[in-house]
Amino acid sequence: MNDSTETADESDLTAAEQRRAVRERYARIATGSESASPDEESAGDCCGDDGGCCDPGVDSESRDSTALGYTDEDVAAVASGADLGLGCGNPNALASLDEGETVLDLGSGAGFDCFLAAREVGETGRVVGVDMTPEMVEKARDNVRKNDATNVEFRLGEIEHLPAADETVDVVISNCVVNLSPDKPQVFRDAYRVLRPGGRLAISDVVLTAPVPVEMRADPDSVASCVAGASSVDELRAMLDEAGFVDVAIDPKEESAEFVREWDDSLDLSEYVVSAAITGRKPDSA
Amino acid sequence: MKESLMDILCDPLDKSDLELEVTDRDGDEIITGRLVGTVTGEEYPIEDGIPNLLPPDMRDDE
Repeated sequence: MNDSTETADESDLTAAEQRRAVRERYARIATGSESASPDEESAGDCCGDDGGCCDPGVDSESRDSTALGYTDEDVAAVASGADLGLGCGNPNALASLDEGETVLDLGSGAGFDCFLAAREVGETGRVVGVDMTPEMVEKARDNVRKNDATNVEFRLGEIEHLPAADETVDVVISNCVVNLSPDKPQVFRDAYRVLRPGGRLAISDVVLTAPVPVEMRADPDSVASCVAGASSVDELRAMLDEAGFVDVAIDPKEESAEFVREWDDSLDLSEYVVSAAITGRKPDSA
Repeated sequence: MKESLMDILCDPLDKSDLELEVTDRDGDEIITGRLVGTVTGEEYPIEDGIPNLLPPDMRDDE
């Protein structure tokens, strides 16, 4: 990034540094060198000392995805390997998907939420996952085969520059990803653009409840692990309003402190962030 | 990627249409090929069935 950005606030990472940290971390998780996946069980800690956005349980059996809002049936419905335990909620539960709808998942990872959405929208619907980490998209594509899914597709893309045409999507979902973006207002503007009039936004993400210490904001690992990049409820609301969304609701889940606390061995991250359900709608007449 | 999903795709740079050039396909499924921005002229590869629609400056640092 340029000099003026760095001198403006030396403690913050540049957008490029932030993207790189996020990509590298999620590539490591996708390939199993830093993993919560049951397929590539690793001896090391999933979250280690960088923590965040990720359950420290090593395999899916010991991980409790129901704490995030998934039912046992959800977990059983998707072939193993798609649920990496990287979410902080269940955006599908917020979205009330209908048969035949088109769903776009921002930061789809290994595809767990996409496969669940695919069951809801059925054969007449379609689900597209966008992720900027090649290793994750490859893993998701392998999971398409495992799940025999015909209505789910993945593509490499950036959530600030969605490769989806205007007004082609009924529902935008995302799980613990938007906080990782160096340009969140742009993510919401682009989500708004791709939604059809009346289309819905249903996101699970962390929100900031207390200021993060300067040293954490400058730490790429803290940004990549969904803590240092998080915004407050007020900031998020302002971004969503500015993008044009109506009926905006941001509902922090106090009970999420229990699993947020497990994201890091040494720090209690629940002092800084909490998981929230974030919903909004594009006006019918937009 | 499925050819039938072309209608919801666009050029990530300027959101204009993309033109599909197929090298290898399996029915509706495009295995290898490329997508070309009709306005930007930017080329986005499709490899192993996955379209790479990252903005060009981000593809470079893969």
